[in-house]
Amino acid sequence: MREPSLFDQEPDRVVGDRLRQALDGPDPEAFVARVRSAIGQTGRETSWDVLARWAPAGLVAAGVAAVLVGMLLRPAADPQDNGSMLASAPVQMEVTPQQAESDVLTTTLLEGR
Amino acid sequence: MEPSLRTPDQTDTELATAAVRGDGDAFGTLVERYGLAARRVARAVLGPGDDADDAAQDGFIAAWRAIERFDATRPFRPWLMRIVTNAALDLVRRRKVRRAVAISETVELRQISADRRAEDAIFRERFAVALNALPERQRVAVVLFDAEGYGHAEIAEVLGVPEGTVRSYVFHARRALRQALGVYREEPDA
Repeated sequence: MREPSLFDQEPDRVVGDRLRQALDGPDPEAFVARVRSAIGQTGRETSWDVLARWAPAGLVAAGVAAVLVGMLLRPAADPQDNGSMLASAPVQMEVTPQQAESDVLTTTLLEGR
Repeated sequence: MEPSLRTPDQTDTELATAAVRGDGDAFGTLVERYGLAARRVARAVLGPGDDADDAAQDGFIAAWRAIERFDATRPFRPWLMRIVTNAALDLVRRRKVRRAVAISETVELRQISADRRAEDAIFRERFAVALNALPERQRVAVVLFDAEGYGHAEIAEVLGVPEGTVRSYVFHARRALRQALGVYREEPDA
């Protein structure tokens, strides 16, 4: 038997025959009939199915985008009020709990940065 | 005659295109054409048993459900076989199926006798053990190349790896399998 090479272009018949022998299952006709029957009972995927599959991910993405847009469009901070700068948001929560309470989600997000 | 058998000369692409239009019999013909090859690939990944048949069937069902996404400008069988292979690999991950190693070599060697049928059975087991010892992707590659006649480029599409990787998979798998076969001596029938 010739040594195999990386550049072999033709199938090895001996190995191929052995593989088919090893991997052929019992009752091939019954298997094909079973698959055909299963397909006969299965509906095709519609565009709505695809949309439905992506909907949860889409909703999460839209939620995250809304939060980010909300952060960007927040009213500009009063230059005199250093406590309301974004970088000091965690401190703000410590010092003025009521103000921080109204923006817990933003604060939580910023803490992770 | 079954409706699907009326179209034996239709190409895969013609049948797949008909299936896109809702022709279930056309897809049935594709099942008849590739069902057993898909089953062999699934059994190469999962070992013999119902899991492999389930994975092959799941692959066909997934292909049927997604047939509208088949690109008719590309060959059908790598597209189908990729879905079947992924279904089998997914099942491996989901169920953590353990490969069934048939019998230990110690037992095999003890059982060697002058009986040719027994010896043939032992070497079949040896071949199965060698096949099961290969990584899953090497098994798929060598089955598609040597048993199903796929080209390197098609297998690369099935496995989603470069063609050079497929060559390497086939080379290593084939070398291991030939080693298992190498100890098999053809003896003339008495």
